[in-house]
Amino acid sequence: MALLKIAEPGQSPMPHQTRRAVGIDLGTTNSLVATVSGGRPDVLPDMAGAVMLPSVVSYAGEREPVVGAAARELASQHPADTLVSVKRFMGRGRDDAAADALRSHYQLADNTEGMVRFVTSAGEISPVQASAEILSVLEARARETLGGDIEGAVITVPAYFDEAQRQATKDAATLAGLRVLRLLNEPTAAAVAYGLDSQEEGVVAVYDLGGGTFDISILRLHKGVFEVLATGGDTALGGDDFDAAIAGWVCEQAGLENLTGGQHRALLALARSVKEALSAQDSVEIELDAIVPGAPALTLAREAFEELINALVRRTLRACRRCLRDAGVEAVDNVVLVGGSTRVPLVREAVEECFGREPLADIDPDRVVAIGAAIQADILVGNRPEGDLLLLDVIPLSLGLETMGGLVEKIVPRNTTIPVTRAQEFTTFKDGQTALALHIVQGERELVSDARSLARFELHGIPPMAAGAARILVTFQVDADGLLQVSAREETTGVESSVTVKPSFGLSEDQVAEMLQASFSHAAQDKSARQLAEQKLEAQQLLQGLDAALAADGAELLDESECGALHAGMHQLRELLEGEDIGAIREATATLGRASETFAARRMDRSIRKALAGVSLESLDNEVGE
Amino acid sequence: MPLPDFTQNYFELFDLPQAFQLDAKLLGERYRQLQRDLHPDRFASAAAHERRIAIQYSAYVNEAYAALKAPLPRAEYLLQLAGMSREEISKQPVDGGFLMEQMELREKLESLPDMVDPETALDHLVVEITGDLAAHRAEFEAAFDAGGLKAAASACVKMQYLDKLLSEAEQAESDLLDN
Repeated sequence: MALLKIAEPGQSPMPHQTRRAVGIDLGTTNSLVATVSGGRPDVLPDMAGAVMLPSVVSYAGEREPVVGAAARELASQHPADTLVSVKRFMGRGRDDAAADALRSHYQLADNTEGMVRFVTSAGEISPVQASAEILSVLEARARETLGGDIEGAVITVPAYFDEAQRQATKDAATLAGLRVLRLLNEPTAAAVAYGLDSQEEGVVAVYDLGGGTFDISILRLHKGVFEVLATGGDTALGGDDFDAAIAGWVCEQAGLENLTGGQHRALLALARSVKEALSAQDSVEIELDAIVPGAPALTLAREAFEELINALVRRTLRACRRCLRDAGVEAVDNVVLVGGSTRVPLVREAVEECFGREPLADIDPDRVVAIGAAIQADILVGNRPEGDLLLLDVIPLSLGLETMGGLVEKIVPRNTTIPVTRAQEFTTFKDGQTALALHIVQGERELVSDARSLARFELHGIPPMAAGAARILVTFQVDADGLLQVSAREETTGVESSVTVKPSFGLSEDQVAEMLQASFSHAAQDKSARQLAEQKLEAQQLLQGLDAALAADGAELLDESECGALHAGMHQLRELLEGEDIGAIREATATLGRASETFAARRMDRSIRKALAGVSLESLDNEVGE
Repeated sequence: MPLPDFTQNYFELFDLPQAFQLDAKLLGERYRQLQRDLHPDRFASAAAHERRIAIQYSAYVNEAYAALKAPLPRAEYLLQLAGMSREEISKQPVDGGFLMEQMELREKLESLPDMVDPETALDHLVVEITGDLAAHRAEFEAAFDAGGLKAAASACVKMQYLDKLLSEAEQAESDLLDN
């Protein structure tokens, strides 16, 4: 209810009860859900007391998919039906994912278009569907623990996730019936978990090495404002690679060849436990007999393990140095460790050496992201006094357009603070050209063939003119979730076209709708009742906001007829809310929303003036003392 | 959908004097203050149209901040406010001596991979470029303050050259690290 804040800073005229919101860390290896209750953030355990839900979904059974530890048990028996590390496949095409799939013993569907799909006993499954199963389990856990419906969730993604991967994550939430308050970058979430209580000032590096992804972010903390200065990483590097390195070494040493899918899975699980043991011990005995009868036992020393993973760890440090340079800072005041893989001693040493600081790991590195997300969710649903905390994030990868000769013209460079709107003018290159094809790409490379293709769309109806005479303004808008919308407009005629970028490797709206229909968990719910409730809630929010805004500023910022028109629209909407006509309510809400835009814009303008007047009057000392 | 009606220029938006010399700390304070009030996260529970407006306002403030924060875009923006288009700026002649220097710097950058100690050589090169940049910033400021738009634009073009070279040097550095 930010409008209310403009009316009365720090006070909400409309007292409301605490709203249930959660933070979800949808991880490669494990997923967690956390919430803030009684002002304290904490992770939520399941009935058996387990906090971490293994991110494993098994479609081996006859009935519903199995999620979590029970599914992990099925991995070696049913390798092709049991999906682990699906996060690695989110938003990726078939060609892109083939190598990973082979290593994981998945069978991929033949589709060359769109996102990769796994062939399982339950049919073709997309990574989005599998992720939705994981989210559903966490949502149910939260609902049972908190005793009611969840109003919304903040879901974390690696900072280095591209557009397609972000969109896929959002689609998974939609499929699970969750309202996404925000996609939040994992390192930023961790910084929130650390930074909130301490009112810290300074520059913080967050080093996040999870099961399958690596992220590095540099942030400046300033009186509750978290400004991300730069971010970098590698979406295909993590603790899983450490496991694979151990497994590879074992095969080589023990002369193992031609393992079955199940044996390979079992070996990876064993490698994982060896890795974990080596964080505390100097060497570990590896018994292989249970996996491959007759295979010899091996011993792996920590030093040898460190040699195996050294190159991987160095790769993360290069990303760190680049990020420091992008951020334009020489040194950092603190380093925060996130992700289970940062328990590996070599990783800690390398990070300490790189930043010249002993890293902080006070909060459990497995939980810190979910906790930060829960805090942000609590703020976004309005449970905290406003002005408490604000996150200013950046886009991780440059966004651009294909131009002549297969080159990329960058429109929004990486590390630009979001939200952002950038426009650039283009022109036609042939006489009489009446259409323009736009190809939107993401990445740092100069050639389109090296960049990731996000979407294509066309602007038609350009009047025939001489080459170079048309003026076509292409606008990129990236919202606070890092999602892109592109529009194009021919300036001399006003012909327009726009597209909300649905990445080439994403799912179409229809596909999402279809999956929703098919989804078992939703057939059970009364969908139309739910939609009606959601629509009514949106209408009520609009009415509440307008009530407060009109009471505060109506007289000052609106003339009599404008005021009257708004009141009439509000009255009509209130009457409709007595009934059940969802279509009419939706329409009246949209109409009233449009009608109040001018009012909202005027208030925003005035708020800018007020904000600056406030800054000019207050001395720095006063602000520190707040 | 009405677009934000900002008739103010970026300096006015942040209530700062319109000059190249700028109080970076104050700019940061005011930027954060504006985002505290306008960022879409403040409107997470508000109606859809308000969220859209918040995105536009917040994006505008980000754009303004990016234009003023770093010296080169700030110089370009000041020239634009003074009525010079980007094209006009780029057409300003620069002296031959400067171009010669540029070529030499560029040659050094390109020959790095053949050097015995490329990292140290690169460090020296970066120091040299950074020093030149500082000098041309001062040149811009003096010319602009004295009302010499053309001289200022010429200094701005030199800053553009050096800025590009610096980012290429940084790219070379990460290439070196990767090998």
